[in-house]
Amino acid sequence: MKKLKSKGEESALAPIWNWKITAFSAALLFFVGILAISFGPVSLGFQDILRTLFGLPGGLTGQDRTLLIDLRLPRALLAALVGAALATSGAVYQTVFRNPLADPYLLGAAAGAGLGATIALTSAGADLRSLLPVFAFFGAISAVLVSFFISGKFFAEPNSLLLSGIAVGSFATAVQTYLQQRNSSSLRPVYSWILGELTVANWEVVTWSSIYILIALIILFTVSKQLDGLMLTDEEAYSLGINPNKLRVIAVVAATLATATAVSASGLIGFVGIVVPHLVRGITHRVTNRGLLTIALVGASFLVLADLGARTLLSPAELPIGVITAFVGAPFFLVVLRKKRLVSQ
Amino acid sequence: MSKVRKVFARIAIATTVISLVAIYPTQAASNMPTRIISLSPSATEILYAIGSGKQVIAVDDLSNYPSEAPMTKLSAFNPNVEALLNYKPDLIILNADATKALEVKVALEKLKIKVFLERAPSSPREAYLEITALGRATGKISGAQSVISDMKNKISAAIKSGKTSKKISFFHELDNTLYTATSDTFIGKVYKDFNLVNIADPAATADSAGYPQLQSEYVIKANPKIVFLADAQYGESLATLTKRAGWNGISAVKSKNVVALPEDIPSRWGPRLVDFYEFIASSISKVK
Repeated sequence: MKKLKSKGEESALAPIWNWKITAFSAALLFFVGILAISFGPVSLGFQDILRTLFGLPGGLTGQDRTLLIDLRLPRALLAALVGAALATSGAVYQTVFRNPLADPYLLGAAAGAGLGATIALTSAGADLRSLLPVFAFFGAISAVLVSFFISGKFFAEPNSLLLSGIAVGSFATAVQTYLQQRNSSSLRPVYSWILGELTVANWEVVTWSSIYILIALIILFTVSKQLDGLMLTDEEAYSLGINPNKLRVIAVVAATLATATAVSASGLIGFVGIVVPHLVRGITHRVTNRGLLTIALVGASFLVLADLGARTLLSPAELPIGVITAFVGAPFFLVVLRKKRLVSQ
Repeated sequence: MSKVRKVFARIAIATTVISLVAIYPTQAASNMPTRIISLSPSATEILYAIGSGKQVIAVDDLSNYPSEAPMTKLSAFNPNVEALLNYKPDLIILNADATKALEVKVALEKLKIKVFLERAPSSPREAYLEITALGRATGKISGAQSVISDMKNKISAAIKSGKTSKKISFFHELDNTLYTATSDTFIGKVYKDFNLVNIADPAATADSAGYPQLQSEYVIKANPKIVFLADAQYGESLATLTKRAGWNGISAVKSKNVVALPEDIPSRWGPRLVDFYEFIASSISKVK
């Protein structure tokens, strides 16, 4: 109790957010990114990699250049984008729903995307298969929209939205299971998609996913200051000049856009959306959403590292990245949680 | 008196012997199943090849060969005991990998229905064992033996024509996320019979079942001479491979040795295994 008080006094004096932390996370992401593209089944010279990256003479040529530019680089970038999208959306959902367990898949986005992907994979024509990301994207968006409309007055009651999200999610999962049962040959591709995969990363995927994810993140960063107002009661928020319901809709729509894009680009990668926000908030002892950019950067670094593990632990085979995120994330998270609890006691 | 007894005794013995002789074959015949349901596409193909086809009354929704097999909506993955009972079967071929296979087996046996639990063979040799076992279970032992010897002859002929002393490397693609099969798998052993070099083998420890997921970078580095596409039915082809980053440098893609595997055949361990061996042999001869 005593400790908590001193913490409170400290943060009353300290600025709301320390931007040095953000700068540090940006540096961390850069470092992790370089690390990630330096390792793979084919060993490339570190100096050559740097020369190629910065366009200096004497870089890699031929096949090695292709490996770096067209395989490792887009994969690391996609991991960073997806990590940033999931971590930020998770943080925003937790604020909007005032629920520390909220994750980006809460409103049925994951189940909707899963259903969309299954429809693409089980359709008779081979053509729809290449449209899997599009199907997953619209599946996720529609599931969230349905949750919204069923719950009625948007955010009149966040809990009813939460419940309708769970119901819509279960329904979508049921339809997905039905389709899978009727098309058992699609079981493996659907399963491998659900586990999450960055294996098919290429510049095309990076380009389209970066557009949506960056738009969504910019919107969220812009409203991040006001998001803190949602931690108060609605009356208090109004008195600060914030329209809480409008803000919630903007936040949830942007977070869903980011999540749906991430899911459609890389399948369902769990845990990032819950662990990273709590990790950043736990370590910095700050709950403010001004740390949203930092959460995004740490989420990006986390997933880039996890993907490095996915590629190297069983090399030349792959490990599903979702396994790594949970395997590494869960114990780390528990340590932070325990420390946090000790501090607040 | 004793004479009469003797006569009676003789008559009694004679009738018993005669009736035993008369009964024995009919009993043996009635032991043989006449209403078989096959819940395994491979078993269906085997049953028809060894001559038990007439005893088959229903097959699962994936048993699409031979065409005369009575395909139903019965699921091989999720066997439904009641749906099976509808057909009044006396023998059910059940795949050991089906959902709750053992529970289903127990339930069916309680209802006095025989169950043949089929385990996926791990090598062509085990496939022969299954054919023999199915022959025994359906009373077509000689049919099974002749199918096996025919398969053995044709397969060794195919191996002879395709086998190469050159080190020809290959990649067997299961899907476009680069899942593959090592030499430990059934299909891997088929390739191994031809002395082909499987680029997936260094990743063998990654999956105990022998189906690891490879990294694109590794496949490019391994530079296989042939790519076998088990996912051709899902739209993969030389054209889609060429579009993958870095793949146009792979020997198989450059020299257009990208082979679309026929649907189903590579995953059926019945008599059509011969077709698969012959297919691989002809694919290799184009590379040699």
